Order: sequence, then C-alpha cells, then structure tokens
Amino acid sequence: MLEVKNLSTFYGKIQALWDVSFSIKESEIMALVGANGAGKTTLLNTISGLLRPTSGSISFLGKRIDGLSPHTIVEMGVSHIPEGRKLFADMSVRENLEMGAYANRAWKNKGETLEQVYRLFPALKERESQLARTLSGGEQQMLAMGRGLMSRPKLCIIDEPSNGLAPKLVLEVFQIIKSLRDQGITILLVEQNVRHTLETADCACILENGRLALEGTCSALLEMEHVKKAYLGL
Amino acid sequence: MVVTILDVAIGGIMLGGIYALIAMGFSLQYGVARVLNIAHGEFIMLGAFITWTLYTVLGINPLLSLVIVGPAIFIIGFILQRTLFTRLRTSSPSPGAYEASSLLAAFGLLFVIQNVAILIWGADIRAYAYLSVPVNLGGAIFAANRLVALLFAVVIGVVFYLFLARTRMGKAIRAAAQDAATAGLMGININQVLALCFGLGALLAGVAGLLISMTFSFQPTMGLEYTIIAIIMVVLGGLGSIPGSFIGGFLLGLIGHIVTYFEPGLTLPSYYFIFTLLLLVRPTGILGK
Ligand SMILES: Nc1ncnc2c1ncn2[C@@H]1O[C@H](COP(=O)(O)OP(=O)(O)OP(=O)(O)O)[C@@H](O)[C@H]1O
Ligand SMILES: [Mg+2]
Repeated sequence: MLEVKNLSTFYGKIQALWDVSFSIKESEIMALVGANGAGKTTLLNTISGLLRPTSGSISFLGKRIDGLSPHTIVEMGVSHIPEGRKLFADMSVRENLEMGAYANRAWKNKGETLEQVYRLFPALKERESQLARTLSGGEQQMLAMGRGLMSRPKLCIIDEPSNGLAPKLVLEVFQIIKSLRDQGITILLVEQNVRHTLETADCACILENGRLALEGTCSALLEMEHVKKAYLGL
Repeated sequence: MVVTILDVAIGGIMLGGIYALIAMGFSLQYGVARVLNIAHGEFIMLGAFITWTLYTVLGINPLLSLVIVGPAIFIIGFILQRTLFTRLRTSSPSPGAYEASSLLAAFGLLFVIQNVAILIWGADIRAYAYLSVPVNLGGAIFAANRLVALLFAVVIGVVFYLFLARTRMGKAIRAAAQDAATAGLMGININQVLALCFGLGALLAGVAGLLISMTFSFQPTMGLEYTIIAIIMVVLGGLGSIPGSFIGGFLLGLIGHIVTYFEPGLTLPSYYFIFTLLLLVRPTGILGK
C-alpha cells in the first residue's frame, strides 16, 4: 500500500534521514520505533508532504506522492495525526472535526463520518461546542484522532498518540488503533512505549540515528537480542 | 445636549465601522498570510479613487461601485499574494525571514501604488458630493451619506464575520491562522487560502476607501496614515485575533471621532496615547493571549 524507497531528508544542511526503505501492506499496523531524535517524526512528515525528501521515492497505492503538497496527499486517502495533537485551540470540538473532513473526498459525507467518530469517542459529542483548548489531555488526544479519521483515510499515520496520557488511557488508545485496523484502515504508528507497541502492531521498523536499523514482524523483533537489550530493557 | 450626543455617536459609530473593516483586513493579511502589509492604506486610497473616477467620469453611483471596486481590488490582492508573496514565502529559509522580506516587499508596493496613483489622478486633494442631503434624526442633522456609510460598514462587517464563523472556507481561514502546517494536513490548500486572505484583506481596505470617499476628502498620499492607524487598531484588539481587530477598530474610530469633535488637532495624538497606554497596561491587546 505504501512503499518508501531510499528516502533521505535534510533540515537545511543537516541530514535527518539516511536512505530509508520499507513498505506497508494493506490492513496492517506498522509500528515505527526509535529513541528520541531518531527521525521518526521526520519520516512521517516526509510521507505526508510537510517535508520534501532530497532523494528517494514514496508511492501510495502505486502512485508517487513524494513532492506533492500535504492537501493533495490527504485527498488521496492518507491522514496524518501529528505529534503533540496540534488541535485548532480556538475552534470548537465540532469545528475541529469538520476541518478534519475538509478534503473534497470526505466533505460530502461529513455528517455520516461525524456520527461514526462520535460513536467511537462519545466524550467528544458531549463537548461538541466547547473550545478545543478547554479539553483535558486525554480528550484532546481523542479529538486529534477523531479529526484524523474525519477524512476517511485508507492509511492513517499516528505520531505518539499515548504521549502524556494516564496508563488507563494509553491502553484505550491502543485498543482503538486495533479496532481501526479491524475496520480495514492501514496504520503507521510511532510510539515511545516499545513493548506495548510491538505487542499491538503486526510489523515494525526500528530507526536509529536516521537510519533503518531493523525491520520485521513484531513477534520476530520481540525475540531479537538487540531489541531486548536496547528497547525492552531486558 | 442630547442632540450633540446623538451627533457624535452616529459619526463615531460610522468611523468605528469603517475602521473595523480596515482593521479586519489588516489582521487577515498579517494574522493569516503573515504579511505586515505597510501598503494596506494604499488599497484604501485605491478604493476611494476608483469610486471617485467611476462617479465623476461615468456617473456610477458609489454604492453601486461596491460590486466593481470590491472584486477589482480583491483580484489585485489575490494576484499579488499568488505571485510576489508566495514566491518570497517558498524561497525564505524560515517564517521569520519571510516576515522580514514580505515587509520590505510591502514597502516597495506602497511606493509603486502611490506613484502610479499620482500619475493617474494627480496629487490634489479630492472630494465629491453624493447623498449630501441633510437628514433630521431626533433634532440632530446628518448628511444622508453618513448614515448610508454607517449602514454599509455594519452590514459588510457582519457579513464578513458570518463568512468566517459559518462557511467551510471561513473556517479553513481560521484554522490556517492558528496553524498553517496542520491546516494543510486537513486537506486545506494553504497557498490558496493565503491568497484568499490577502485578497479579502485588500477588498476590505478598498471597500473602506469607498465609504471614506463618500464622506471625507482623499488624496494619493493618504495611505500611510491609515496603515499606521490599522497597526494601532490591530495591536489594540490583540495581534492575530480577527474579532479583536474588529473591536479594536471600532473603539479607535469611536474614540477618534469624539476627540475630533472637541479638538481635531488631537485626534492622531490621542491614537498614540491609547496605543502607549495599552502597551503599558495590557501588551497583548484586548482579546490577545
Ligand atoms: N525543524 C527542525 N530543524 C532542524 N532539525 C530538526 C528539526 N526537527 C527535527 N530536527 C532534528 O532531526 C532529528 C530527528 O528529529 P525527529 O523529530 O524526527 O525525531 P523523533 O524520532 O520524532 O524524536 P521524538 O521521539 O523526540 O519525537 C533530530 O536530531 C532533531 O534535532
Ligand atoms: Mg517525534
């Protein structure tokens, strides 16, 4: 579904991604893990068009998307739920969700999608007319996820959804991500919590210093000595 | 006494309404498109002169000119953003660098527009008489054009507010004002929204110029004074807040008119006084954070 080949991205003169290649199959959860500063967010931003790669290619459903602007990529069915939620703080919960459906492919059906999102996150319906800034941290994450789903994505990119949430909510977030996969949405998930993530996802990539260090099914990665030592603290 | 109050109030609300349009336009350009448009006042001047030409040469009623002046100035603004400012933005290494380079470009624009206007219309002060018949409202006497200008300023302000609050494009503009990159992730075409904002900002200035020309005199070099007033109003309301700029504009117009009534020479100093006082008491402006 998504095919990344030999991707390199720079910030000015500083190279943040080095020759990264991987692919995601339809209806699976691909996890992307790595230490702080490994380049996970950079990779996601390059896929969704916020950053331009200096070399390499990205194809989605067989079409090249590298170099396209973010709004065109959304229109093709890729939704990116960014790190740090990035809500429109001075707009209401409902307006935030409506903005999620801004793409033409989603706008026509936004009423119906809104119902689905409210069913998934009932707390949002209760707070429909509240400004996003007044929500609690957990509710804000729900809103960020709901907003990302409003574009009816085929591929949903999620950057650290559990960051700053209480343990109970973290479990809930992972549960929701699994249910999205079961509805047929392909997921690219970045997480700090490596054990949890590898237990939830189907496959994973490990980034180290901007390079792809390991790739494989989660069950295989969980058995590897390097993974156990460096990421699971065993 | 009552008559005097009514007189000052109506004039103040009219000027406040016109200033509110100017401030909202400036705020759209700075708050969303990130251009500190020093040439904002030039669009006001253009609006006034185009209206005057249409009226004196072709005999077109200034209120009817709205449907010509508005779209014409919108298109000028839209094209400027799409060509000049988009190019500057994409070639700037950082948002800060863009704010600096777009400010310089706007300065250039100020001189170009002003000089072209002097070439076309000459440097003289102009005015025309339209709907200057007196109207008696509870003893206070007004020129009818003041009441019409007041009405139009209020209606345009409200329509514009509803556009931002209710429509798909208006919400996209508000989203882009808060976080342009994330707005792009929602499927919003940022270059298009920025051009729309710049165009709408110019349109509001042009329409304000049209209303100004109905009741005041105007000349090709009038722009900078209005730009400075616009900056004061937008800071007063809270930088980046469009409702704030509306309030800031309305207040400054109202106060300005009251001061003018007592001592015309003190109008501009009173603006600076309010501005300085505000910076000392509430630097973020009325609705700023
Ligand atoms: N806007 C930027 N300008 C310059 N360098 C940047 C920028 N953003 C990130 N970097 C650098 O690129 C590298 C990768 O950063 P990135 O944010 O992609 O890491 P990450 O894996 O998402 O980290 P985290 O887990 O902390 O979110 C880091 O060394 C970072 O300092
Ligand atoms: Mg990150």
